[in-house]
Amino acid sequence: MDYDALKEHWSDTEERDGVRLSWNTFPSSRMEASRLVVPIGVLYTPLKEKTDAGLLQYEPVSCKAPCRAVLNPFCQVDMRARLWICPFCLQRNGLPPHYKDISPEAVPPELHPNSTTIEYRLARPAPSPPIFVFVVDTCQEEDSLKALKDSIIMSLSLLPPYALVGLITYGTMAQVHEIGYTGCAKSYVFRGNKDYTAKQVQEMLGLMAAGLRPGMPPQQPGRVPPPTGPAARFLLPVAEAEFQLTNALESLQKDPWPVANDKRALRCTGVALSVAVGLLETSFQNAGGRIMLFTGGPATEGPGMVVGPELREPIRSHHDIDRDNIKYYKKALKFYDNLAKRTAHNGHIIDIFAGCLDQVGLLEMKGLANSTGGHMILTDSFTSSMYKQSFARVFDKDADDNLLMGFNATLEVLTTKELKVTGLIGHAVSMNKKSASVGETECGIGNTCSWKMCGIDPASSYGIYFEIANQGGPNQMQQGPQKALAQFLTYYQHSSGQYHLRVTTVARNLSGPSGDPAIAQSFDQEAAAVLMSRIAVFKAEVDDGPDVLRWVDRMLIRLCSRFAEYRKDDPSSFRLEKNFTLYPQFMFHLRRSQFLQVFNNSPDETAFYRHVLNHEDVSNSLIMIQPTLDSYGFDHEGSQPVLLDSTSIQPETVLLLDTFFHILIFHGETMAQWRKAGYQTQEGYENFAQLLESPKEDAKELIQDRFPLPRFIVCDAGGSQARFLLSKLNPSTTHTTGSYGGVSQSAQTIFTDDVSLQTFMDHLMKLAVSGTG
Amino acid sequence: GSPAPQMGAPMGGTPDQLANQFGQMNMGGQPQVPPPQAPPMPAQSQFNQLFPSDLIGQPFNVAELDLPPPQINLPPNTSVTPSPYANCPPKFVRSTLNAVPTTHSLLKKSKLPFALVIQPYTSLHDAEDPVPVVPDQIISRCRRCRSYINPFATFLDHGHRWRCNMCNLTNDVPQAFDWDSVAQKSVDRWARPELNHAVVEFVAPQEYMVRPPQPLVFLFLFDVSYSAVTSGLLATAARCILESLDRIPNADRRTRLGFMAVDSGLHYFSIPRDGSESGDPKMLVVSDLDEPFLPTPEDLVVNLSECRQNIENFLEKLQSMFQDTQNGASAMGSAMRAGHKLISGTGGKMTILSASLPNIGYGKLEMREDKKILGTSKEGTLLQTANSFYKSFAVECSKVQVSIDMFLFSSQYQDVATLSNLPRYTGGQTYFYPGWNAARSEDAMKFAREFSDYLSAEIGLEAVLRVRATTGLRMSTFYGNFFNRSSDLCAFPAFPRDQSYVVEVAIDETITRPYVCMQTAVLHTTCNGERRIRVLTLALPTTESLAAVYASADQAAITAYFSHKAVERALGSGLEAARDAIQAKIIEIMQTYRKELAGGNMGGGGLQMPSNLRALPVLFLGLTKNVGLRKSAQIPSDLRSAALCLLSTLPLPLMLQYIYPKFYSLHDMPDNVGLPDPDSGEIVLPPPCNLSSERIVPYGLYLIDDGQTQFLWIGRDAVPALLLDVFGVEDKAQLKQGKTMMPVLESEFNDRVRAVIDKSKDHRAKGVGSIVAPPLYVVREDGEPSLKLWAQTLLVEDRADQGVSLQQWMGMLREKVSPDPPPLILSTWPD
Ligand SMILES: [Zn+2]
Ligand SMILES: [Zn+2]
Repeated sequence: MDYDALKEHWSDTEERDGVRLSWNTFPSSRMEASRLVVPIGVLYTPLKEKTDAGLLQYEPVSCKAPCRAVLNPFCQVDMRARLWICPFCLQRNGLPPHYKDISPEAVPPELHPNSTTIEYRLARPAPSPPIFVFVVDTCQEEDSLKALKDSIIMSLSLLPPYALVGLITYGTMAQVHEIGYTGCAKSYVFRGNKDYTAKQVQEMLGLMAAGLRPGMPPQQPGRVPPPTGPAARFLLPVAEAEFQLTNALESLQKDPWPVANDKRALRCTGVALSVAVGLLETSFQNAGGRIMLFTGGPATEGPGMVVGPELREPIRSHHDIDRDNIKYYKKALKFYDNLAKRTAHNGHIIDIFAGCLDQVGLLEMKGLANSTGGHMILTDSFTSSMYKQSFARVFDKDADDNLLMGFNATLEVLTTKELKVTGLIGHAVSMNKKSASVGETECGIGNTCSWKMCGIDPASSYGIYFEIANQGGPNQMQQGPQKALAQFLTYYQHSSGQYHLRVTTVARNLSGPSGDPAIAQSFDQEAAAVLMSRIAVFKAEVDDGPDVLRWVDRMLIRLCSRFAEYRKDDPSSFRLEKNFTLYPQFMFHLRRSQFLQVFNNSPDETAFYRHVLNHEDVSNSLIMIQPTLDSYGFDHEGSQPVLLDSTSIQPETVLLLDTFFHILIFHGETMAQWRKAGYQTQEGYENFAQLLESPKEDAKELIQDRFPLPRFIVCDAGGSQARFLLSKLNPSTTHTTGSYGGVSQSAQTIFTDDVSLQTFMDHLMKLAVSGTG
Repeated sequence: GSPAPQMGAPMGGTPDQLANQFGQMNMGGQPQVPPPQAPPMPAQSQFNQLFPSDLIGQPFNVAELDLPPPQINLPPNTSVTPSPYANCPPKFVRSTLNAVPTTHSLLKKSKLPFALVIQPYTSLHDAEDPVPVVPDQIISRCRRCRSYINPFATFLDHGHRWRCNMCNLTNDVPQAFDWDSVAQKSVDRWARPELNHAVVEFVAPQEYMVRPPQPLVFLFLFDVSYSAVTSGLLATAARCILESLDRIPNADRRTRLGFMAVDSGLHYFSIPRDGSESGDPKMLVVSDLDEPFLPTPEDLVVNLSECRQNIENFLEKLQSMFQDTQNGASAMGSAMRAGHKLISGTGGKMTILSASLPNIGYGKLEMREDKKILGTSKEGTLLQTANSFYKSFAVECSKVQVSIDMFLFSSQYQDVATLSNLPRYTGGQTYFYPGWNAARSEDAMKFAREFSDYLSAEIGLEAVLRVRATTGLRMSTFYGNFFNRSSDLCAFPAFPRDQSYVVEVAIDETITRPYVCMQTAVLHTTCNGERRIRVLTLALPTTESLAAVYASADQAAITAYFSHKAVERALGSGLEAARDAIQAKIIEIMQTYRKELAGGNMGGGGLQMPSNLRALPVLFLGLTKNVGLRKSAQIPSDLRSAALCLLSTLPLPLMLQYIYPKFYSLHDMPDNVGLPDPDSGEIVLPPPCNLSSERIVPYGLYLIDDGQTQFLWIGRDAVPALLLDVFGVEDKAQLKQGKTMMPVLESEFNDRVRAVIDKSKDHRAKGVGSIVAPPLYVVREDGEPSLKLWAQTLLVEDRADQGVSLQQWMGMLREKVSPDPPPLILSTWPD
């Protein structure tokens, strides 16, 4: 197969199974594997929306414990004996009685060769309908609070009527609204500056069983306890509570505590969240639910505060963190990480919606969303369409009108003996489950074969990494190429109220004897780049920035040394196979990206960008790593992809940049002048008008499925907003390249000390061929 | 210059000469048989005569209790104006001694106490008993002792200066006394109220304010635990406030109300202003009892006028807000701390309505009553404070001008002893409704009526009381509900109108003047936001004669003094000690009188007492038999504590009635009784009877009324005609016993009986302010035995439970006082 055919094949596989692997042929020995540089990994989207296969309405056939692998197309089935052999543990299992009629002509769907991914709806019902707790910051100006209230009220109509809803508001203090109480508006108030334990929260909300309450006399005789649990006062079905909740939301006012001119509003985000977590903890453990935090600014009070209330004290920057000049950072981080751990343990999600021009402390809070599979949406204001549309998209529904969100998922990986799983990078926590499939090394969240994703949606993608366990070479006794298998079992609470199990079984050939070229040919540079990016970001969260960059460089050089063709010490002889050529570019852009170069962004933005990267699939991730740039001009019809390079900026073109987070339309100098002169409205210049329109239309197209909604920027050459574009371009023409270069004079000069791609490649080739990598 | 006013006549003679005269006069002859009422003294007479009497030969008659106190005989022209109101009337201030010994040793020898019983207000509302007001903010005070100018000041230096009748310093007379600078004309200083009236109120200028006058603030703390809700307390209280909104003083439209509900959590209510988008209240629950805090900075205490509709709306809702509660906890201590936070900025009233023991949070209390220790020496501990929080918190409240009133309703032990500390030190009051339940309409109506009156009372705010006196006298001890901020200053965050105070006076120096003055001043803010000083000046003659001291001793005031002392002793050393002290004291007084004034042994087994003190032995007996003090193993300690609260706060007329209840025979009442008196228009009461069952005939109908409870007693042989006339039933069996209301019948007799019952509880007629509406119990002599026993405990002269009869009491007294040689019995009270 040539490279294009392979790409096509991988794309089909991704479509069917939601998987993209860095290597599609596995080395058959540890030794061989160690020389791959890029680890064997898969970017897996467990709940990828499937249009082809139906949902199986019966229980899966599983192997004996502890294996529990699910019957799949790679199993050997003895139809006559009604037996099947598990490819993972090689045990024989009887088929259940109702499979008695199977024959080569009538195989159940899960054995069909195309059923490498299949989903079961299990008999096990969810313990409760999905829960939505809105945690609303009231330290906001009236207009943004109003916009926020409206959006939440709107969302009620998007929820299934049986979904449970609750409301917590906070400012100087946190209030849990008892929407089940109809006498008047009622809420429980917690101090903003006190670190309440889970037990205290539960006691104070009266969630403990009446008899257990300290100081509480025994139940009064002759009284029947209320029919539902105590938490039912705070969490009610939308259908019942809509009126009360809407009232409560509508009557929300700006936090009433006075704020001096030189002070920030007191905002106890930490307490509000811990109360929300405590509320769900008692009565709804392991019942799917989202705690949706809407914050309009940084926490300035109590546990989890990220900046003091004095305005003259700025919120920490990357530089401050670098210099360890941070007053609250570590304490806050510890607080939120503990809370995240608790929440994940309870099976609940925390989403963070920030509507603030300044930072809100996402950096400190990031664990909440990252560990629980929550969303993180960073916007300037709740009045922005970026917020409104992104928020609405959380409630997208499938064809059956079910919310496109899963709850309380566990993803378990089973492998055949050659393959061991070393870890996962993505929004999940470890279930600490040891099995024969668990490898010796650790990459990301390792030492387990099972992870928990409290929140999961059809786009959630996880990087899962493997190692090869075989000491020796391939087993020559068997005929044909041997395969190694991995099975991904994702149990989750479907929003329709049942538990589902998604099973994806991945089989790949093991390489032949040492030096098998099949391995190199199976390299998916896109998947590899994304999988490496996740590792780099994972490292960046714990290591120093420069160390990570050095690691990225070293890995790139080693990969090139290993797979490029060259004569030692002769950079000019350096050649890469087609399926490797783009990889160095990806790494070049990754090095320059906001994921690793943090100083141009706020810590909050960094947390946000990294969060999104860890959620997206290969193609979206690639856009983030290496944005796309399209050019529009009179010399060609429609858009034309152009190099992400400063040379692409020309006076008579319009550019459309997509960084995933930003969509930017850039009018070249002349284009901008014409537009300002208003030619597009004049007769005879319809083509110009059309030229201005088409990037807008294309941009709309891009925005369509994007989550979170990107920031949309229209700018002109020389305008201040153009910096967004310039920062992404390869600085092939910088102020340091001199005026004698052979570059078009019309090209944009970028003021940067960054090396250009060309310089980067030159260095790479030199180092790769020197064998010093 | 204004013309010099007419001078007050100078005193005749030197003080020494006068004192000598006094001394000689008491040697005059004494009539052998005392008239039931001492004849009015001729105006020129300067002392009271001592009328000895024999309590055995001529037993105490209840009518003697209604006699006025011994006359205060000042030398002529003592007051600067000839006003008949120049001296303080006894309904405001009564002295135990209306002739003051000139020396400490004489006082000591007399064994009588020297104390003032002060009742600065005689009604709940100014309009019911107005006091002259000095409106022009001209307040002339002595530069040295800070006394207010009063009718006993003297003018000198052509009226330009006045001499202080307390410390003798001469002070300038303000020009405004004679000249109105605004109207540019001279005024008559002799018309000034403060020179004509011993009781006046000054409107105070700016200097008398540390801050602008605070508004009237009521913060209601409702117990909403299971027992409070199911007893109907919450609903009744809320409805009552709702219906009384117009009665709450609010002339200046500054009155503010706040509401909190308490169970295991604190429920705050934020009430929007009228005209806001939503008129509905918001309930904010704080369950964090460790450090109660305010959930919002606004709308928790709101202006009555600006939020009137929404307050009404809230009170409507409140009645049913907690109807499904299962909560058995009460964090009242924490709630009070929260309330303190809420109103400490302004000060105000914290009105607590609770039906349960505060069992969680701050100041949490325990059920400590053990039936087994009632009636034993250990009982005293139950009357003491169980948790020091209550006293220290009360002091905290006093500092920030917060006064606490306790309305207590529990059907179980509620620790009144501990809770009553809060009112005690903050100028508040403890109102106790044991076993109250709104399902009984009598209970509901009694509380509603009292609570409504309570809300309407024109209390003073941010008040201090000080008593100044002629040099040589010193206020040594103060009794009553307030915080004694410094040696002579009593602080009242709110000044009630239904309490009185006792101040003991020490004689530090020999007094050389013919009379002394004692001036009580209550600086306060009226509930209309006016700063005022109510000043009460009492002048009393001095004497070197023990007989004059005895002849002018006021038995009612003395009893009031010992009531406070007994409460103090009961709380400190137990009930037994208190009773013993009372008994020892009366013996001591009688021995002193016998030895020093009655010429030793009378012989013939008599028991001597001057006529003006004839009620003292029976009043002391009544005191020892009061529910607060009497020996019994049957009295729940809450009931006792509540009674002790009354004994230490009741205005004197009510206290006397509480000690020696009123007892009227109704079946044979004279024709004019129960009808308006043709002259005064007041309902005529029957002549009172002595509290003895000997007075009860089997066919009779009686009213026994101790001011807190009324009993309508029906003899076992009451005739059907009587029953029909009074109750509208002929058969006794059909009579509802116990707490009830009188039926209104078309019968003249029914009318008159009801008129007597109503008149008997008329506070205005007694010259006191009070909210108490005594419940009426119908008691059949042959009916419910416990009811009958209860009513009989009020028959002080009977022998009952573990108490002696009056006859036994007198016998005992005679034995102790008259045997030859008389044993020496020392008072157990330190002098
Ligand atoms: Zn197996
Ligand atoms: Zn003076």
